[in-house]
Amino acid sequence: MIKRKIEKNKLVEVLKKAKQQGFEHLSCLSVVDWPEKKKFELNYLIWSYKKKKLLSIKTFIERDKPQIKSVVELWGANAEAHEREAHELFGIDFEGNKNLTPLFLKDWKGKPPFRKDFDWRKFVNKKYFGDKNA
Amino acid sequence: MHETKTYRFPIGPAHPAMANFGIDIEIEGEKVINAKSDPGYLHRGFEKLMEYRTYLQNTILVGRVCVFEPFSYELAYNIAVDKIAGLDVPERGSYIRVMMSELMRISSHLVWMSKMCRATGLDTVLKLAITYRDYILELFEESTGGRVYPVYIRPGGVRWDLPDRFNEHLEKALKKLEDGLLKIDGLMFKNDIFISRTRNVGILKKNTAIKLGATGPVLKACGFKYDIRKDNPYEVYKELDFDVPVYNGCDSYSRSLVRRNEIEESIKIIRQLVKNMPSGNHINKISPFASLPQGEVYSRIEGARGEIGFHIISTGSDMPYRVKIRSPSFTHFIPVLEDILTGSQIADVPVIYWSLDPCADMDR
Repeated sequence: MIKRKIEKNKLVEVLKKAKQQGFEHLSCLSVVDWPEKKKFELNYLIWSYKKKKLLSIKTFIERDKPQIKSVVELWGANAEAHEREAHELFGIDFEGNKNLTPLFLKDWKGKPPFRKDFDWRKFVNKKYFGDKNA
Repeated sequence: MHETKTYRFPIGPAHPAMANFGIDIEIEGEKVINAKSDPGYLHRGFEKLMEYRTYLQNTILVGRVCVFEPFSYELAYNIAVDKIAGLDVPERGSYIRVMMSELMRISSHLVWMSKMCRATGLDTVLKLAITYRDYILELFEESTGGRVYPVYIRPGGVRWDLPDRFNEHLEKALKKLEDGLLKIDGLMFKNDIFISRTRNVGILKKNTAIKLGATGPVLKACGFKYDIRKDNPYEVYKELDFDVPVYNGCDSYSRSLVRRNEIEESIKIIRQLVKNMPSGNHINKISPFASLPQGEVYSRIEGARGEIGFHIISTGSDMPYRVKIRSPSFTHFIPVLEDILTGSQIADVPVIYWSLDPCADMDR
């Protein structure tokens, strides 16, 4: 796996170049929450059918203002779906993605549930077992 | 003058012709003019659940991502854990892992055959395919103790060695499957009803498929040869001799043929594994409470539906810090399905839907 760490404002430019060089398959967009560092880490995992190599592009964004440019222009509806998931579960805004509508969780009003500071056990105890102290 | 009206209505998630996944459809006459996928009915939050459990506890959880192919998820997850922990899998362990995941591919394709025939009204194959799947489930029960959820692959190898008369039973089951496949050929793949219901239905062109992230049989049916077992081999696939079936039809029929021929290739692989199976240890164990070193890994395997990936971040504790699951149905059932359905006929919706082989891994 080829690993590259880049600045967030260079994301679209770098991915466009990678795609032109044959990294055509956006395999996965993986988000990692680092509350202590006050950052979100975004990993774009891209495969090249020609070179038979995997490329990992890593970038960090501020946790207080989680915004980054969308890559919909490169991968269309595929990127749109991955970004919708990241928006719903981590609360990241992708500028340029016009369809950041709920994907899995309809009517969810709480904190994005995959963030590290969302206490999943507390939520379950309160919602399903009526624990008032939770 | 007739007035043209458009109607919007949901199909699924709780609908007899659908898996547990819905689509909002807008039609004009009989033509679908817009389709929006509506996942979430089976969203169980696996990625979050896994952050609360040790690496070994997670081996029990991962298979549940997709009920039709738990071995594929067990394999992809354990390859990732092996890499983080720096574990070497003994050769015998690796052979057994591949054998089980190929059996799972056959089992999953048989379930798909059954569901595809339900969508096209061929009720005989619906029952026949499920019956043949049972021969494989019996093998799973014999070797792992579990029919549907085996929980068998562990970090460093497999849970226990194969039972005494397993190879004998396996060969018997494979022979039955080969006979069954011939029967199913006549009833399904050479059947005019099936051909007319699937040929030129649900066209997905190669360039669109690549852009939308299609993998597995869906991509192979667009005339594009991409199989992780060949292009980025894991476990013992490098040593095995098998073909990757590819068809150029770009339609539901080609997708069906790819899966049918993958069954034959899997049988070929399993026979080679039995013939060359090395003796020795089947697992290099780690402690159930072991803390793994810091690291990041992305493991990918070729599942029955396509590319399955696990992106795992370890911060040095006994539980993963973050697990991201890349599931094939996520891309097949959101961007790909929406693209194919738009412009299709309402009567073809179930055929197109099942030709992509849905599973609960789209929600995770």
